[in-house]
Amino acid sequence: MKVEYINPFIESTYDLFSTMLGSKAVRGDVALAKEACSAREIMALIGLSGPARGMVALSFPMDTALNMVNRLLGTEIKVVDDTVSDAIAEMVNIVAGGAKAKLSVDGEKPIDLSLPTVVRGNSYNVDYPTGSVWLEVPFNSNLGGFTLRVTFEMAKKLH
Amino acid sequence: MRALVVDDSAVMRKVLIGALSRADISEVDQASDGMDAVNATQQKDYDLILMDWNMPNMLGIDAVRAIRANGKTMPIIMVTTEAEKSRVLDALKAGASNYIIKPFEPATIVSKIQEVLAKSGGA
Repeated sequence: MKVEYINPFIESTYDLFSTMLGSKAVRGDVALAKEACSAREIMALIGLSGPARGMVALSFPMDTALNMVNRLLGTEIKVVDDTVSDAIAEMVNIVAGGAKAKLSVDGEKPIDLSLPTVVRGNSYNVDYPTGSVWLEVPFNSNLGGFTLRVTFEMAKKLH
Repeated sequence: MRALVVDDSAVMRKVLIGALSRADISEVDQASDGMDAVNATQQKDYDLILMDWNMPNMLGIDAVRAIRANGKTMPIIMVTTEAEKSRVLDALKAGASNYIIKPFEPATIVSKIQEVLAKSGGA
């Protein structure tokens, strides 16, 4: 994965925060993703296919997830429930959608998005298959911290 | 004035219903995929539809085509993360009246709804 491919995903995360959440996300340094393992996180994943192959994951500590959903809906939800999962799924959809538009080439078929998946629970591991390079970027905001992880490759053209 | 909000995300439907309410539209039905939306338009008349693109069972763009093929002429606004120029053109060709890219600011969506309704003579 070329490091510059992560930039559209970072910009798309900024856009999500500034428009729909009335907040500002501030990024940390890009690094190779570490094995993700957390007792108190909720993670949303979405696949990219067609002219590119990839996967985008957003992981939020429970407090960040609740703050984001409450900001989005004007609610005071205190426990992570289906509404929170649904909101997190939509957020990864928006981040991936914005980035794929920036990565798609004019005049060529756009990159396709899968439907998002959400993982939540008391403890889980995320292992990355051999051969796929994942980059991760930590973010902070006044709604809390979270992590963006991306693996992305443009498909090879057959001539 | 009755609107139909079509999105597989219940949270996004809530956000859109809030925007409709700020545009003085409080009679709103919901559908969670394109197929549900097509069925809903066969049961009731709507003055406006807000339609997502990526949904299970039937994509939003296919629902727009089906709704137009059934002779329905109400304004349909696509509200989607699909931001490529070619996607916008495909949606307009399929019969969408307007296009809003997610993420959006709440004020943007309210003014777009009002603009589309004013054009269709519904506001």
